Amino acid sequence: MHIVKQLMAIPGVIAAGEFAYRGDRFSFEGALTAEYARMASILCRSNTMSVNMQSEIFDSFAANCGCKPMQGWIVRGAQASVCNVGNYFAFIENRPDLLNDVMTIMRAKVGDVGDDLLVNLYAKIGGDVKEALY
Amino acid sequence: MTLEQMMDLPGALAAFSYTDKGDITGHQIREGTEITPQILDLLAHSCVANIAVATLEARGWESLTGQKGFEPLQGFSMVGLEWSVVVSDHCGVILKNRDVNYEASFNAVQTCSA
Repeated sequence: MHIVKQLMAIPGVIAAGEFAYRGDRFSFEGALTAEYARMASILCRSNTMSVNMQSEIFDSFAANCGCKPMQGWIVRGAQASVCNVGNYFAFIENRPDLLNDVMTIMRAKVGDVGDDLLVNLYAKIGGDVKEALY
Repeated sequence: MTLEQMMDLPGALAAFSYTDKGDITGHQIREGTEITPQILDLLAHSCVANIAVATLEARGWESLTGQKGFEPLQGFSMVGLEWSVVVSDHCGVILKNRDVNYEASFNAVQTCSA
């Protein structure tokens, strides 16, 4: 089953989606409008790039410290949270055990994110366009 | 909860506390890990920045969409290849991914008294 559909089958998952490269290519399911999903995709892509940059800094001081490449991030709100793994995101309610379940599924289904994040994200929309990135 | 108690969380590799500016005020590191005080110092500064950015995003999102439930922010987590760091306003804990319990960790850092 597709990751987004699998996530949406879990009670308490508000919305889930997938984004690529610039954050403006996306697909989603759940309680978001297309415009809000576009905004969420840009936000998630931006945060993903930011924590990836931070992991590069940590790694430069302690190679193989276990942080790089960054796999994702979580924003824990008062009643809701945002989970991001690779190029997938999920908006969830703060129900008991839901965060752990969602993160377990996302990590298992998305798999380990490779070293080159931009290429990884760009590959999601197809084509060998590596030269266009640099 | 103290830093010593946070080190009892499953998979805990390090626990630390920090100021509003990200300066470390206390830390515990499990022996034999690759985590160093310098890494904790960098992490603490990035945590302050990430929580500030996440607060901006949560506030903007709630205002723009009308969807509530994010503010006040409870914490932020970065998921690395082998470990995750879970932080709140002034405390953080680093945990092995294979053992991590994110919910218990967020609850722990929120009640941190270090």
